[in-house]
Amino acid sequence: MTTDPARSRGHAATTFEQRARIGLQTPGLAAALGRAMDQRALQRVQAFAETDEPAMRAAGEAIRAHTVANLDRYLERFAEEAAERGTKVVFAETAAEAVGYVQQVLRDHGARLVAKTKSMVSEEIGLNPALASAGVEVIETDLGEYIVQLAHEAPAHITTPAVHKTRGQIRDLFNRVHGVELSDDPTELTRFARGVLREKFLAAEVGITGVNFAVAESGSLAIVTNEGNARMCASLPRVHIALMGMERIVPSFRELSLMLPLLTASAAGLGVTAYFTFVNGPRRPEEPDGPDEVHVVVIDNGRSAILGGEFHSILHCIRCGACLNVCPVFRQVGGHAYGAVYGGPIGAVLAPLLDGFEAAGDLPHASSLCIACTEVCPVNIPLHGHLRGLRREITRSRATRAERLAFAWWGCLWGGVRAYRWSARLARMGQWPLVRRRRIRRAPFPLSRWTSARDMPALARGSFRERWRRTEGRGK
Amino acid sequence: MESSAFLDVVRRRLAGVVAPDLPSDLPPTFATGGGQLFDRFAAELDRTGGEAIRVRPDELSARLATVAAGCATAVVAPAVDHREAVLEGLARAGCELLDPDRDGAARAAIGVTGVVLGVAATGSVLLAAARGAPRAVGLLPPFHLVVLPEDRLVPGFEELFGRMPALAADSSNLVLVTGPSRTADIEMTLVLGVHGPGRLTVLVVAG
Repeated sequence: MTTDPARSRGHAATTFEQRARIGLQTPGLAAALGRAMDQRALQRVQAFAETDEPAMRAAGEAIRAHTVANLDRYLERFAEEAAERGTKVVFAETAAEAVGYVQQVLRDHGARLVAKTKSMVSEEIGLNPALASAGVEVIETDLGEYIVQLAHEAPAHITTPAVHKTRGQIRDLFNRVHGVELSDDPTELTRFARGVLREKFLAAEVGITGVNFAVAESGSLAIVTNEGNARMCASLPRVHIALMGMERIVPSFRELSLMLPLLTASAAGLGVTAYFTFVNGPRRPEEPDGPDEVHVVVIDNGRSAILGGEFHSILHCIRCGACLNVCPVFRQVGGHAYGAVYGGPIGAVLAPLLDGFEAAGDLPHASSLCIACTEVCPVNIPLHGHLRGLRREITRSRATRAERLAFAWWGCLWGGVRAYRWSARLARMGQWPLVRRRRIRRAPFPLSRWTSARDMPALARGSFRERWRRTEGRGK
Repeated sequence: MESSAFLDVVRRRLAGVVAPDLPSDLPPTFATGGGQLFDRFAAELDRTGGEAIRVRPDELSARLATVAAGCATAVVAPAVDHREAVLEGLARAGCELLDPDRDGAARAAIGVTGVVLGVAATGSVLLAAARGAPRAVGLLPPFHLVVLPEDRLVPGFEELFGRMPALAADSSNLVLVTGPSRTADIEMTLVLGVHGPGRLTVLVVAG
C-alpha cells in the first residue's frame, strides 16, 4: 500500500524548484500552512512566556553537546542497562540492516499486522514500503499519519503530518476509503478513526514506535504523544519494536526533566503533552499485561559521518519542528517540496548530509537566511550557519567550469572600487530596455533565472555617493 | 552489526571533539514546583481538560458514585487505593464490574486505577505497571478515574524525575498522564479522546 509512487521520494528525479512550484500552485496550501504555523509559533512563545527561555535553551544546548560528544559512552551504557532489564538492543549501521532486523522479528512471530506510531527515522529507512512488499500490513496510528497513509502521501511536517489537508479533504478521503458518510466535523472524523484504529491495536501482533529520548542510566525509552497511540503500541501487542536514531539519548532522568518540557514547548506549545511513556523493558513476571519482548534498533544511517565534522551540531536536534513553523520558505511551499524525509530548515541541513549532495544539494538554497530558524531552536543549533556552510561545500563540489570562471571574474571585478563603480554605471545605462515603471520584471538569460521568480528594482539614476558629492549632504 | 564495531566507528569520529560538562544546575521550567500542592494540581489539570476533586476518605464512595453515574460497566485495578470505597461507589452508581483484563477493559465505560504519584506543577499523574495494576485499565476505557491519596502529590518535575531511576527499576512501564487524550491533527482543531481516555477525573483523597 505504501509502494505508491506518489509516496516515494523523487528527489533524484526532480529539483526543489519543480517541487516547490507544485506546492505554490496548490490552492489554499500556503494559507492553510500559514494559519497552522502561526498558531504553533504563537503557542511556542506563550509556552515559554513565564520561564527563562534563554536559560532553558542554554542548558538544553549544553546537555545535547555533552551527550553527543560522548555518544559512544552513553550508547554503551544504554545498551548494557537495557539488556539488564530484558530489552534486546541491536545496532544497525545502514537502513537495510535496520529494516532487515525488523523483518526478522516479524517473521519470527509470524506477524501480519503491525500498529505503528509516528517515527521520522522509520521514514528515513523506508520501513513501511519494505514491510508492505513483504506482505505485512502496517497501520499508522497517529491520526495525522493515518490520514497521510490513507492518501498515499508522505508526512508534510515533523509533528503535524497532515497539516496540508483541509477537513473537507479528510472527510472525502475517509468516506471514499471506508465507504461511510461522515461530515467534515473534526470530532466526528476523529471518533471514526478511533474506532477503526482501536480494532487494529487489539489485533496487531507487533507494535512499532519511535523514541524521543533513550535514558542511558536505566536503559529506558521515553516516548511523547498527545493521542495515546504510543501507550497502545508499547502495551497491547506481544512484541514492541522501538526505532531510534543513534543520537537520541540523554545521560540520565535528571537531564530528561529539562529536555522533555523543552521538546513539548517547542513542538506543541505545551509544558507537557498528554502522555510521556517510559518503557523499561518487557513485562515483568508479576505484571498482568504488557509485551513479552521489547527490541530497540539503534540506527546510524549516515549519522556517524556527520559526527566530529563541521556540521556535528546538527545531531543535537531533538526533532521539535519549531524551525519549520517559523520558516518563510516552508510556509509557502510545504514539506513535500523538500522531497526528503525532513523538511524546513532542519531538512535543508540534514537531507544533503544523509542523502548526499547529488540528491538533495539544492535544499540549502531553499532558504532566505533570515535566521528565524536559529532564533527558535531549543538547543541553539546554528541552522543558518550550517545552511551557509553547506552552500559553500556544495558549490565547491558541483559548480561548472563556466560558473566558476564567471564568479571568479565577478569577484575580481568587484574587489576594487574603480571597477565596481564602472560596472554600476554600465548597468545603469544598459538596464533601460528592461525597465518598466522603475522595475525589471523580465530579463534575458542568465538574469532570467532571477526575474522568473522575482522583480528587481531598477538601479537609481545616481549612486548615494554621487548624490552626496553633488549636494554636500543636504539631500536635494 | 556488532555493537563493538558500531561503537568503534562512533568513537573514532568523536576523537578530538571537545565536550562541555553537563550543567550542574538546571534552570526552572514550567514544570517546577511551587504554591499549594492541591490547588496547583487542580488548576493545571483543569487547563488540560481534566478534573481534580478533593474528597475526605469517608465521602469517597459517595463522590465516586456521582462521578461514575451513567457508566454501565467498569473495570477496577486490583491494587487501587481505598479499594473497598471504590467498589462501594461503583455499586451505588449501578456499574457492572468486568474482569480487569484486556477484554474487560476494552468493553468497560470507566476504568479506575491508583497512581504512584501526582505532579502539582503540571497536573499530571504517574501510572506504573505492577502487580494488580494492569496497563489496560487506565488505557482502553473512554473514562479514566484516578484515586490519588493527597500525600502522594509532589511539587514538580525535579521531584518526579529524582524518583524515576528507582521507579524505572521496579516497573516495565511508567506513563505520566496529563489530561485526556487529545489531537489537533485536523486543521489544528482540538479534539479529546483519540486513542486514550477522552475523560480524566482525579479524586484526591485528603490525608
